[in-house]
Amino acid sequence: MKRIPAPFVLVLTASALLLAACSSESAPETETEASSAGSVTVQLLTHDSFALSEDVIADFEESSGINIELVSGGDAGSMVAGAILAAGAPTADVMFGVDNTLVTRALDEGVFEPYTSPEADSLRPDLADQTFDGLVTPIDFGDVCINIDDTWFEAEGIAPPTTLDDLVDPAYSGLLVVQDPGTSSPGLAFLLSTVARYGDEWPNYWQQLKGNNVAIAGSWSDAYYGDFTFGGGGDRPIVVSYATSPPAEIVYAEGEPPETVSTSSMDDGCYRQIEYAGILAGTDNVEAAQQVVDWLLSAPVQEDIPLNMFVFPARADTPLPEVFTEFAGQVEMPEQLPADYVAENVEGLLTEWGSVMGR
Amino acid sequence: MHAPTWLRWAWVVPAAFLVAFLAIPLASLGRQVISPGTVGYLFDPLPWQVAGLASGQAIVSTLLALAIGLPMANVLTRYRFWGRRWALALATVPFVLPTVVVALAFRALLGGSLGSGFAIVVLAHAYLNLAVVVRIVGARWVTIDPRMDLTARSLGAGPWTAFRTVTWPALRPAIASAAAIVFVFSFTSLGVVLLIGDSSTRTLESLVLRQTSILLDFQGAAVSAAIQALVVGSVLVLAARQRAAQRGGSARPMRLIRPRGRSSLAVGVVATAAAVIVLAPVLALVWASLRSSSGWTLAWWSGLFGPNTIDAGSTRIGSPLSAMARSLTFAIATGAVAAVVGGLAAVSVLTGRIGRAFAIATALPLGISAATLGLGTLLAYGRPPLDLRATGLLVPIAHALIAVPLVVAVATPTLRATDPRLVTVAANLGARPTRAWWTGYGPALRTVMVAAGGLACAVSLGEFGAASFLARADGPTVPLVIARLLGRPGEASFGVAAALAVVLVIMTTTLVAAVDRGGRRR
Repeated sequence: MKRIPAPFVLVLTASALLLAACSSESAPETETEASSAGSVTVQLLTHDSFALSEDVIADFEESSGINIELVSGGDAGSMVAGAILAAGAPTADVMFGVDNTLVTRALDEGVFEPYTSPEADSLRPDLADQTFDGLVTPIDFGDVCINIDDTWFEAEGIAPPTTLDDLVDPAYSGLLVVQDPGTSSPGLAFLLSTVARYGDEWPNYWQQLKGNNVAIAGSWSDAYYGDFTFGGGGDRPIVVSYATSPPAEIVYAEGEPPETVSTSSMDDGCYRQIEYAGILAGTDNVEAAQQVVDWLLSAPVQEDIPLNMFVFPARADTPLPEVFTEFAGQVEMPEQLPADYVAENVEGLLTEWGSVMGR
Repeated sequence: MHAPTWLRWAWVVPAAFLVAFLAIPLASLGRQVISPGTVGYLFDPLPWQVAGLASGQAIVSTLLALAIGLPMANVLTRYRFWGRRWALALATVPFVLPTVVVALAFRALLGGSLGSGFAIVVLAHAYLNLAVVVRIVGARWVTIDPRMDLTARSLGAGPWTAFRTVTWPALRPAIASAAAIVFVFSFTSLGVVLLIGDSSTRTLESLVLRQTSILLDFQGAAVSAAIQALVVGSVLVLAARQRAAQRGGSARPMRLIRPRGRSSLAVGVVATAAAVIVLAPVLALVWASLRSSSGWTLAWWSGLFGPNTIDAGSTRIGSPLSAMARSLTFAIATGAVAAVVGGLAAVSVLTGRIGRAFAIATALPLGISAATLGLGTLLAYGRPPLDLRATGLLVPIAHALIAVPLVVAVATPTLRATDPRLVTVAANLGARPTRAWWTGYGPALRTVMVAAGGLACAVSLGEFGAASFLARADGPTVPLVIARLLGRPGEASFGVAAALAVVLVIMTTTLVAAVDRGGRRR
């Protein structure tokens, strides 16, 4: 009686192990191991866009004796959903990455334990009061902005739009792609930005956008790599993306980085997204968790954040990389809506948007 | 039937597996979410409307997948031609490609003429599920004696009559199996409809995601997930009813047919068309992995393997090589678990009603939305007192939950068609019950388990939803790395993602071809 010959199984398993061994030189040292008796492990729950340099994490682990175990909860929304469902008996010790559209819901469900970090004194002034009575700590912020393919506009000899009102101008008909706010976080942020700008008249604005042949993509990737003229060879030179997308052209270029960028971020109509970290209520490791929150707001991490996560640090006076100061959109007056207003109304907004746009 | 005693208890293992990894996570989730008020959500028309829409889309996807897949199954599994084994392995590739990648590749190839919407979604679904049709129907077709068809023709029947009266009745259970699974996959599709769909292609899965992670409306999500499970369960039960026990057809795979004359041309055309269909999106990926703003480049490939891997030193993606090793390990683990559990479930179908019920029950995970299962598993096994996340077992287990019904679907039609009298004969000749049973069913089992094992490994390599919930943040699988790369701007991100997708294709083809080869050797 023959089965799959043992040699094949052995070869496959051996190859897998070899590959794992060969690549272990970059395996993070943050694997959970009780390296020394009494070392504490803190589980840090994040979403799938989280990134930090391994050295920064290793330095902290060495100096504090705390082992950091990174736990993923899917995308930001799924992560928060999981935390809410597990409130009181959490799946991790610290959660990072809940943003201002979801945070009030998490607060209402008692997900967090209060903690005011001493590092919070160093927050930027505009974020200093964003701790919701000391339950969460702002760690970074980003702006969802319209991005423009300048090379396309130069080639066509048209001046690019500069305000939200320009987007409904017939001169820019058929040039804009946005994401569905029901399935995409930047899409939702753009919708909220129009609500903040136009108040109760926002459905009219979208009606006009529809008349101006706006395209609607299901996700950021689809819009940026599928429809945007610069990233994906599509036919739309205006896309909803982030203020920090232009610097990525340089950071993720092939070979020699270009001198300048071909896209730029429109400063009008940007929506500010703030990301928070907090200690999950019910954790056993409160003290170590507090140290981790302090660390997230500390200078080494805050300096490391821009080039890893492409957002801006919340700590005041953190030096930014050159590509950011030169090419990222510096938005002075972003649109913002109160977090509890968003939590209460998001469903109604999405339904109305769907009926206006016929989706 | 002279069944050995242990066979009667074969259903225990699949049952325990389902209870531990399906029922308990769902119960943990349900306990948090469901309250008496949840029933009220059943009267909301929205989930029912979406269910109707998704059913229509799934039916069209299934018909298209059958139309393309049946000729492919015929040619690739029954005829001998040069490169047949690799062609068969290649047919599994669409199944393993992450839906994000397929959606983008289809947009690149067809988006210009079709745009987003129903047509392109249905085409993408048919493409993704070709492997299901080829593997499930092929595994059965290869055991149908071609001489019966010849005999019918020599008795005067035309080719279509011969097919209809001889081959079709024997094939129908396998086609029903395959059609049910393609329907379920298309009905519960998420990635494709999110990326290249529009309002006419909404699925309950996308509704659950929206309700869970944007609206945080858990009760609504629970109701949508329940409706989806209901529809999927009904389809699976219907399909099981269609599969009346069939006789006729040996359990041994027939010798491959050497095509002659006109059939040689037909075989060539179908094989070539199959290769073009399967490879077109893959070639689009290869092309994308070699292009940059300055023309042709190898930078993305060296970004994978060279010393300066993309994001080297960052936790976010880490080494692509370690992601590949991780994916491969998970795939092998999934294949092993799914083969054992699925094999026992398939075998228990033969023993009676309880066994049949459990074989259908193993297919339930296909109807449970990935978000629901992921959240439930985290609540049940992701925190003290029982925290299994560090063991790395959660991902293969979640993958096995999805792979087991495929194993059962591949194995059951052929097992059912095996003549049980062989067992009686062997027993009468003095063999002990287990040996007798194995003499009768062993050859069939060996053939189908190999085909099933390949499919299970493919499922694991390309799975995204469960892995995104359950993998460690610094221990991603290849589809997770691809999704993360595609989630940020920069030509390196896109180029390396395309290169990784090509690597995934190569890994799948090789793994599946190796598994197939191991099974074919006699």
